[in-house]
Amino acid sequence: MDDDEAIARSLDGDLTAYEALVARYSALAHRTAAMLGAADEAEDVVQEAFVKAYRALASFRRGSPFRPWLLRIVANETHNLTRSRGRRNGLTARLGAVADPVAPDDPEGAAVAGDRRARLLEAVRGLPDGERDAVVCRYFLQLSEAETAEVLGRPVGTVKSSTHRGLARLREEVGGELA
Amino acid sequence: MSSREPHDDDRGDEPVGFGDLEAELFALGESLDVPAPPPADVAAAVRARLADSPASPVTRPLRRRRGRRWAVVAAVVLAVAALTAATPQGRAAVAQILRYAGIELRLGATPATGAPTPTPATGAPTTTSLPGEHAVTLAQARAMVRFPVRTPAALGAPDTVTVADGGRVVSMLWPGGLRLDQFDGTISPYLWKQLGPPFPEEVHAAGVDALWIGGAHPLGYIKREDGTSVPLRQAAPTLIWESGGVGHRLEGAGDKNRAARIAASLR
Repeated sequence: MDDDEAIARSLDGDLTAYEALVARYSALAHRTAAMLGAADEAEDVVQEAFVKAYRALASFRRGSPFRPWLLRIVANETHNLTRSRGRRNGLTARLGAVADPVAPDDPEGAAVAGDRRARLLEAVRGLPDGERDAVVCRYFLQLSEAETAEVLGRPVGTVKSSTHRGLARLREEVGGELA
Repeated sequence: MSSREPHDDDRGDEPVGFGDLEAELFALGESLDVPAPPPADVAAAVRARLADSPASPVTRPLRRRRGRRWAVVAAVVLAVAALTAATPQGRAAVAQILRYAGIELRLGATPATGAPTPTPATGAPTTTSLPGEHAVTLAQARAMVRFPVRTPAALGAPDTVTVADGGRVVSMLWPGGLRLDQFDGTISPYLWKQLGPPFPEEVHAAGVDALWIGGAHPLGYIKREDGTSVPLRQAAPTLIWESGGVGHRLEGAGDKNRAARIAASLR
């Protein structure tokens, strides 16, 4: 059952079809909420977003991609949450223990790379909100510019410039020593 | 997963010189671990919540006449002005709030999202659905809502009349994408606006001050229960005004003069 079919069935009141849609996008929705600042409330945000998405499903333009439409609701929920508590928790994510593919037999090199990765993550966390959101969507969530624009509710031009400014700032922060 | 695929459509004009940094960021993103409950559990929890609530996305007539209508889903129509022109350099992020009964204008320093997709000139009535929106006769609509429902003499009888959100919103639709929403304007919405051109323009219509939103703009509703926003669609230029405690929203009239004439003909 592809997205379109699941949506069609959901519109007919088939909750099982919607359940399948939720399961399909659950991980990405959590990732989006956490990375846009929902912190430990990501689970609540995601659940609420899916409930809202279901109720707004009639407004979904059939045939257009479901993913950015859903993630926009997730992003809105996240922003409502952060606005209501008056602060953002920034990007919540843990650095996984990942073996660096460029240095499998070089523990020292891997440690250096790991350190740089941690610094880069810190630098992303420290970006101004707009730039961080754009960078997170583009690179951590791997959304296209058009999707990022839809998810963040901003024009593509703004996404482009925010991303560019964010990259420039990151380059300044962490340098380019590890090519 | 499709999110792993490269996006050829927009990689070509990436800023030059950031390729290595971008690759690092992609790799960093891959290595980030975000805790999440098992998808099946999330799906089950969402389903349980939906099964508990009668609100559904179905646009057909709902058999929901019980007294809990106010508790279910709230809709305040909100219009976000479209900012089609590029924003001039470095406008300060001064937020201004613009209130009109039942409508929240969010004016941003940056253009509103989405490609302008005005209602097709010859299209059927908009497919947008407010919560619980369903077709009724004009007489039924008048019986179902708490405020006086008027019709614009300039337009004649509407093709379709709908009632939404448990009697809070009455909408009338005419061919060509014309849509008039009338809604209970006595409940204060949260109102929020950021500066950015083009600003809504004041228009004198129907004996009241109205605002003309001259660009296509995203439209959504605010849930009464928790004030959160749900996007609906891209709306065509719209005239909004309040009269007698009733909020009005006229979309698809084309230009502000015609919109004002229609507004002035409400009886």
